[in-house]
Amino acid sequence: MSSPESSHRWIRLIEPACTSCMICARECPSWCISIDSHTEPVAGLPPGARDRTQNVLDRFAIDWSLCMYCGICVEECPYDALEWVGDLTRPGSSTEALVEEMVE
Amino acid sequence: MTEVSSQEWLAAVEAVEREGFDYFDWLGCVDEIGRRDCFRIVLVVRNLTASAEPRMLSCSLPRDDPRIQTVRGVFAGAAWHEREVAELFGVEFIGGDGSRLLLSPEFEGRPLRKDEVLAARTALNWPGAKEPGEDGNLAEAGETSASPSRRRMVPPGVPDPAVWGDRDARQPAAEPAEVAESAVGGRVRRRRT
Repeated sequence: MSSPESSHRWIRLIEPACTSCMICARECPSWCISIDSHTEPVAGLPPGARDRTQNVLDRFAIDWSLCMYCGICVEECPYDALEWVGDLTRPGSSTEALVEEMVE
Repeated sequence: MTEVSSQEWLAAVEAVEREGFDYFDWLGCVDEIGRRDCFRIVLVVRNLTASAEPRMLSCSLPRDDPRIQTVRGVFAGAAWHEREVAELFGVEFIGGDGSRLLLSPEFEGRPLRKDEVLAARTALNWPGAKEPGEDGNLAEAGETSASPSRRRMVPPGVPDPAVWGDRDARQPAAEPAEVAESAVGGRVRRRRT
């Protein structure tokens, strides 16, 4: 069954765009987004440049047992790293099974 | 906006209705805790035949005993709005329809009062408490490696434990305004315990 692009069924993380800024996790009214990240020094800087660090995303999980599909995270993300997808969320037999890890 | 006392409320609504503002738009309530110790009831009526600005009537009610006359005898549609205000803010409408509109009959509490605490959340870890670049283990250990000097981010609706929940038993219970102020969320300075 085809579904329109605008359908609100599943939220997908576009991992390369995510900067682990925590905005989605903080805006989420149902507290369903969990993020772990760490900082790493940026490699390949030109000689003499000041050391820089960047955030590296380790874990991004949405608990579909808590999510109410309001889309505030999609709206709030300043890097467009979350988007609506027409697929359905995966079923689970327990609430733990509904926690979906989005970073491999 | 016309400020009306609670004794004159019904008469004022009847007066604007007679003036031709006979289309009820909405009735709402604002919790003014922190500014003044009252709830403000706002009623908006329109005159659809004349191209006039809508009229707004407002009435302040004391927070400890918020009671006001119902206007459902003037505008039947206001009954729904009054029931909503009654259950979400705990305002009593004298002569109004006392039945529940949105909340289940067993539910206790007045969820739109600003000093209402999301009690179930005080016991949960907020996922947004972590700073970018902070992993889960450090947060559990109570360390903030990324930026130790920054003010901690707190979720809205959950008050400072030092004010509500984990308050010093020797102190009197917190004032509603203090609870409301400590539960606004964001990057706030929390008391050192």
